[in-house]
Amino acid sequence: MFSKQIISTFQKFTSAQSGLIANHNVRSLFLTSQRQREVVDRREMLRSVPKLDEGSAGEKAFEVDALIHQKTDIFPDADTPNRLFNGIPFKNLPIMNIRVSPNNTIITMTDDKGAVKLLRSCGIEGFKNTRKGTNIAAQATAITIGTKVLERGIKTVRVRVRGLGPGRMSAIKGLQMSGLEIVSITDSTPVSWNPPRPRKAKKL
Amino acid sequence: MRHASFIARTVFVQNNDVEAACRVLNRILGREGILEQYRRTRFFEKPFQFRRRINFEKCKAIYNEDMDRKIQFVLRKNRTEPFPGNP
Repeated sequence: MFSKQIISTFQKFTSAQSGLIANHNVRSLFLTSQRQREVVDRREMLRSVPKLDEGSAGEKAFEVDALIHQKTDIFPDADTPNRLFNGIPFKNLPIMNIRVSPNNTIITMTDDKGAVKLLRSCGIEGFKNTRKGTNIAAQATAITIGTKVLERGIKTVRVRVRGLGPGRMSAIKGLQMSGLEIVSITDSTPVSWNPPRPRKAKKL
Repeated sequence: MRHASFIARTVFVQNNDVEAACRVLNRILGREGILEQYRRTRFFEKPFQFRRRINFEKCKAIYNEDMDRKIQFVLRKNRTEPFPGNP
């Protein structure tokens, strides 16, 4: 008798539940076959898609090599230091140094001798801890320092980037968004083929 | 060897297109293996890791060479009949 009662309540419960499901129009999901098909599709897709860049955009794009041989005017030559940009020779243009690391981005404005005039980092900007090491923080920092540089009456700059990190591209983009005219982009990442022994690898 | 700064690894921005200039620069750095070397030297590579990497690179180079030869063989163009088997 008691067991019957239990069963009846259980049935009621299940019917109520099914009603609920019917009311909300929730479909039962059988995804296995579809998911398998997706995986196969994905594999095919990945085979056709070019390799992903690990850190910086365009790093693995080897196909467009003809462009480098055709466009010679995008690279500097012997006359470059004396070439005029807005009336200033290239060698006397102020430099925007961007120091990128995985955890921060520091941007300094120096004159052509290398004396620091302005400095701004993601930490100064108000981003703290892990938020410092984001592309958004780098872009905000670049826009702030860019406007400050413009206030000083400097409009044309050359950019020197050092290091790899999330802020590498977005800092340059931010400088451009602030209204500065970027003449050239230089990479000065310190790379050695016989370096002193680096620190031990992180444990994972 | 130190290179002259603002001469080496420098790309001019044309028509205010910063992204294109960055892409060209990154492509050169990636192609020359500079970025790869930079990433590899952040942490010490243990001798067993070094051995494994070198062996893997050797095998990959051999495989790639063979595969290139095969592809060149299939794509060769100095045949009398370019589509053998066709009537």
